[in-house]
Amino acid sequence: MKHLSRKVAAAVAFLGLVAGACPASAHHSTTMFDREHFIVLEGTVKELHWTNPHVAIFIENAVAKPGVPDGMWVVELTSPGNLVRSGWTRNLIKPGEKVTVEVHQLRDGSKGGGLKKITLVSTGQSFDYNIRDQERPNLEGETYK
Amino acid sequence: MNKCLSAALVACVALAGVSAFAQPAAKPKPIINPPPTAKDWADIAKLPDWSGAWNPKITDQDEQIKTNMPPWTDKAMEQIRFQQAEEKAGRPPPLFVNCLPESMPAWMLVTHNSMEILFTPGRVTMLGESDSNRLRRIYTDGRPHPEDPDPTFHGHSIGHWEGDTLVVDTIGVMPQTYIAISEAAGVPNNGDMHILERIHLDPKNKDILLVDLEITAPKVLTKPWKTTRIYFRQRARTYDIVEGVCLEGYFNPAKDKWGNDIFVPIQHAVGGNRVPPK
Repeated sequence: MKHLSRKVAAAVAFLGLVAGACPASAHHSTTMFDREHFIVLEGTVKELHWTNPHVAIFIENAVAKPGVPDGMWVVELTSPGNLVRSGWTRNLIKPGEKVTVEVHQLRDGSKGGGLKKITLVSTGQSFDYNIRDQERPNLEGETYK
Repeated sequence: MNKCLSAALVACVALAGVSAFAQPAAKPKPIINPPPTAKDWADIAKLPDWSGAWNPKITDQDEQIKTNMPPWTDKAMEQIRFQQAEEKAGRPPPLFVNCLPESMPAWMLVTHNSMEILFTPGRVTMLGESDSNRLRRIYTDGRPHPEDPDPTFHGHSIGHWEGDTLVVDTIGVMPQTYIAISEAAGVPNNGDMHILERIHLDPKNKDILLVDLEITAPKVLTKPWKTTRIYFRQRARTYDIVEGVCLEGYFNPAKDKWGNDIFVPIQHAVGGNRVPPK
């Protein structure tokens, strides 16, 4: 992975300070995200954390809207294994790319949420996933190109 | 036989007797896992084909919350109702957010990740994704359960084949492991749990694996609970099981002052999601 951007590094440093008091992430429920609604971020991918049990994308939101402040957001996805089965690869979303992201925001209103869909501004290509869409045998397992 | 020889023989026998008594009792031989024979491997080839990766039917897990609630004790039911209300309010109870294995029986009940199943002589091994030690060893070599097994996350499992069905008996599971109906609702089994499974391919579709469970947990269930969990066979290589070290999500890659690649901890909220930057 490349060197962390300054803002992500600062965020990580801050998080590092308070880590230890909180439980780790694991295959958690997603109801802390508002699944009924979504907000839209427009900005730049800063980091992709291709990690178990949940992949995360750090996005610098450039367009502030009511309830959607600009600045760094963290958007969570499912596990790398489940994403690969949904056609993703770890290089699908690269740091530096301009993106539009539909996000089920954290219900507490903070700058995080669960991914609904991410679109690359450069190509217009969109990516999402739904692990409940894979409930039949012998799927082809197509990969996004 | 002359007298002299007879006397010598008697003396020898007596001496042998004495020396036998003088020696400590022979140690019982350790029980070993014998090397598999060609026949053992040939027998493996006769078992049903469970190869491939198996992904769970999550919508059926969801549905059974409504259609097949475990027969909880009143006290356990109260906890489930509380957890369901919290989940509905957007405060999912943190059942599986500590990176300990989902364990038995929750792995079979509520996993969202795939598994694979390996047959080797004397053993069936189930391997899963996502919490790094999702592993079940089911001994099919005829051994009994230990009298007092050390409690483990997945328990001690012995199995045998009844036709094409693997019948698995599991005890010795830690009392802390959840009987879970979702990732946000479940109660620790609290001890004395016994799990019976009948694992087999769906006769109507050999690419569907059915795990029939019967869970007896007298501390939290009023009677044994029966449920069937459904898995789909995938052969595309994108479905291969991948490494899933749960604790990885605790950390972020970074560089130390020497330029080494290291991990630094990051913070998570109670519900398990990463805390957004301020």
